[in-house]
Amino acid sequence: MTEVTKKTPKLPEAGQWPDRIAPAVLVVGIVLSTIGFLLAFLWASPVNGAGVNGAEMIGGQMVTNVVLLSQKIFYFHMPVAITSFVALGFAGYYAVRFLMTRNRRFDTCSKIAMEIALLFVACTMITGDLWTRFEWGVWWTWDPRLTTYLILMLIIIAYFILRNAIDEPERRATFGAVLSIIALIDVPICFMVTRLIPSSIHPVVVREGGMSGDMGITLMFCLAGIAMIGFALYRLRFRQVRLTERVEVLKEQLED
Amino acid sequence: MAARKEAAIRTAGGVAIKRPSTFQQYKTLLRKDLEQEFRTKEMLTSMGIYALLVLVVYGAALAQTSSTLDILQMSGGLLWALIVFTSLLGLNRSFAHEKEQGCLEGILLVPMDRSVVFLAKSTSNLLFLLAVEVIAVPLFYFFFLTTTTPSESFWLLAVPLVVGTVGVAGIGTLLSTITVNTRGKDVMLAVLFIPLVFPLLYACVSATSAAIVGAEGYADVLLTSLALAGGYDVIMILASWVLYDFVISA
Amino acid sequence: MNPILTEIYSTIVPSMPFIIGAYVLMWVALLVYVLIIMVGYKKAEAQMAVLEEAVAERRAD
Repeated sequence: MTEVTKKTPKLPEAGQWPDRIAPAVLVVGIVLSTIGFLLAFLWASPVNGAGVNGAEMIGGQMVTNVVLLSQKIFYFHMPVAITSFVALGFAGYYAVRFLMTRNRRFDTCSKIAMEIALLFVACTMITGDLWTRFEWGVWWTWDPRLTTYLILMLIIIAYFILRNAIDEPERRATFGAVLSIIALIDVPICFMVTRLIPSSIHPVVVREGGMSGDMGITLMFCLAGIAMIGFALYRLRFRQVRLTERVEVLKEQLED
Repeated sequence: MAARKEAAIRTAGGVAIKRPSTFQQYKTLLRKDLEQEFRTKEMLTSMGIYALLVLVVYGAALAQTSSTLDILQMSGGLLWALIVFTSLLGLNRSFAHEKEQGCLEGILLVPMDRSVVFLAKSTSNLLFLLAVEVIAVPLFYFFFLTTTTPSESFWLLAVPLVVGTVGVAGIGTLLSTITVNTRGKDVMLAVLFIPLVFPLLYACVSATSAAIVGAEGYADVLLTSLALAGGYDVIMILASWVLYDFVISA
Repeated sequence: MNPILTEIYSTIVPSMPFIIGAYVLMWVALLVYVLIIMVGYKKAEAQMAVLEEAVAERRAD
């Protein structure tokens, strides 16, 4: 067999093309989410709640229901939730790359993606919980959506606790990668299980109806903005961690 | 295929050694665990006593509730809480003594597929857990359910118990292999194990409660929950099986 | 304001603290993360400067 030149995988490194576009992406992300924020409050049609006795003309439209302002939380709640899933997906992807190549760079990527996932899961919990508190009048209920997110958050926290509890870098990276893959598999199962099993005790939460066009557009703005901010944060953190790692390596070399 | 499996390996000295088949390796590892357990009875006694103590705690916890409390509705959940905590104890021990006596290193020196180690270890964990459940479930019935009348479908509770325990043993074996190498391993296992096993727990509690209460249309709930728990078992055990190689050689 | 309008807008004012809270807390969480990154960056750069000095000293010896 002829000798195949083994292609070394291109490693993610600070200063590559994603870093060059990251500041621009951050600015665009902030602009888009600001537009989304303004659209959500000024333009998107309000969502109606329970009916009232009678009707009233508001802005040329007959309104017969209670107008719900609390729904405006949703425009940022859903994008952060989606971004957290995407970040978790990237963490799993880099974990697989790490297990295949045994290159610690991928472990760094996986860990940072996990951090971003934790950050956005926390944001989802905050926005979701405040909505729950107002609409359902409780701080917590074991509703499928809340439960799935709590479990996701606990798993990600467990990931960081596990990393903290191991001293050898090689082993820490391997166990972290394994756990992030398991987490990525577990979350959809949790999502399905809590939804498909009929619950006899808790009231079924009535799903909100479909979205009108203007709501969809607003949501798109917010989604694009939040996703870009997530990406920019990831690159920023990556640069910082890489710098720290390089400093550590230099220190070790100097000590020799 | 069969010929390859039984192929003799010729060493340098010309001595022929029969390469043991994967199934034989599995049997040997499993027998090692079981023999060790029969000799010391360490796991079974500690888990059994622990289960009994959890039941005593339940007794205190439920002592102040009104006599009309519907214990049937709660018993599925209580039973599974008992199983989860008992299995945490068992899983923690299952790798601890392997590590202490350097047995794990010996096993890893043998040129064999690492997933066999996983299968053997999770089978032995499964057997121990099932053995403890065989004692704990009648005790639970004795302490809490004799005052009420469980439905006729009560015996069906064996099915979710088995399905759930398979999943607990599978994912638990992977996680206890991870945590045996960490600082503060006892807490670490709980931190990893409980969130990851949550979907299975949710499904099994639902199935067990359906079987115990036996309300109208319980068969549907039981089947849906069992299907989901079974799906979790299959997916998670496959994932653990694939990932085990990385974990144990790390 | 007529009673129907009052009823239509009845949930808006009570829900305000929760909406503002949700948005503020979300952005605070993101900002805290940025702050953590920045602190890490500063620390790494300071260490880098110390290392550069150490290298320079070694050269001088």
